[in-house]
Amino acid sequence: MAWRFLLAILLGGLCYLDRTAACQLMLHRPLVVATLMGAVFGNMAAGAQVGVVLELIYLARLPVGASIPPDDTGAAVFGGSAAAIASSSIGLDAGSFTALLLLSVVVAEAGKAADRFVRKVNVRIARLTAESVDRGDVQAVEHGLLAGLTLFAVTGMVLALVFSGAGVAVSKELLPRFGPASRGNFAILLPALPLLGAASVYSCSRTERTAAVFFLTMAAVFGGTVLFRWSA
Amino acid sequence: MTMPPLATRSRSAVWRRQFLLQGCWNYEGMQNVGFAYAILPALRDFYANRPEEALKAVKRHLEFFNTQPAMGALILGASVRLEERVAAGEADPRAIGTFKVGLMGSLGAIGDSFFWGALRPMASVAGALLALLHPLLGIAALLLIYNGVHLTLRRRGFAAGMEGPEGAVGWLKRAALNVRTDDRKLLAAILAGAYAGVFAGRFLVQGGGAPHALASLLLAAAAVHLFAVLFRKAVSPSEILSFLLFVGVLILWR
Repeated sequence: MAWRFLLAILLGGLCYLDRTAACQLMLHRPLVVATLMGAVFGNMAAGAQVGVVLELIYLARLPVGASIPPDDTGAAVFGGSAAAIASSSIGLDAGSFTALLLLSVVVAEAGKAADRFVRKVNVRIARLTAESVDRGDVQAVEHGLLAGLTLFAVTGMVLALVFSGAGVAVSKELLPRFGPASRGNFAILLPALPLLGAASVYSCSRTERTAAVFFLTMAAVFGGTVLFRWSA
Repeated sequence: MTMPPLATRSRSAVWRRQFLLQGCWNYEGMQNVGFAYAILPALRDFYANRPEEALKAVKRHLEFFNTQPAMGALILGASVRLEERVAAGEADPRAIGTFKVGLMGSLGAIGDSFFWGALRPMASVAGALLALLHPLLGIAALLLIYNGVHLTLRRRGFAAGMEGPEGAVGWLKRAALNVRTDDRKLLAAILAGAYAGVFAGRFLVQGGGAPHALASLLLAAAAVHLFAVLFRKAVSPSEILSFLLFVGVLILWR
């Protein structure tokens, strides 16, 4: 298990760097991160299932100006690792799946608080950089940036360790305490989650024609899916 | 005043360093350290034997700066060209600050709307749909759709900026990002409708006939509408998820 956590820390740190500090190539998106964490903890498909739902849920919150959206990367680290472990122990039934997705909100908010902390510490780094430049040290700019990057990377690695650890603990210790029947009751909330994700995209893609296009497509695909299921 | 041209190596360094624009993002100067870091190789070329002026130039770029990171490439390229003119004595140093401040807000708004409000949702929902077939297919779709456009716009924006502020503004007009934003938003809405349809068809219809299916569709559409209204009233996804978690705990307790 130790090497799995080591891998989770390295991959998680990399994905967290992509989130704010470097590149923004979308390696930090929940679909990517949850699938990676699923693969690291033994079941890529289970991680991807969580990633598919988490991918859209937080899109409505844009990283505009100084506002920080919830940490969906952290939610995916937690959800992906937890889903993979659950699938190999109690099984990833609909109730467990719903519980993991809902519990990930706690992680997303904790990650957001950590992000805010890093940006506050960076204020100090930026001030020190400016003071050094005032004294004639131009290279301080490179040192300042390196310090900021390091802080983002280290925080990302710590968060990846904590969140993947929490995911493993939840799947090994918390979920088995509830019987299959109790977990089954939880599954009643499952349909709301993908719909919340779709609403998230819908609300940030608003144009004059969005509503008509969205609901017509939804009805057509729904009809197709139901007919396919009935004929199968 | 004659001055050495910007070396190809320095231009490449500036291009690479733009990817770390947010490397020291902070609440005070926001992307200021990242911007100064990115433009530093060019400043070293322009002020090679003038350390005092190099220092002043670095200080200029440590002023507050914040824009959408991908759109930063355009401002960075144009700032390099402006610095070249300042170093040659052809422009006032204050013009650089005025140019950056004038453009960062509007480019930030255009970039936020295009990248975060249109391209990313479109790529995300395309990835999520294809991941239902195979996870790696979904990831590949997400990364290719987003980065195909993202990296192209960064490259072209930087090149246009390097032609000078006039080139940057001309490129912005030709790029017509507002039209592209609307197109991608519409495509995102179509894909999100398909996503909602697939999941509603899978989870809500567990048997029964056509009336049951129709009721399920109406219920799903009403749920999407309700969530969208809540988002418009500034209710966050986290608050909705927390409420659902609370309901789940109540169900377990019962």
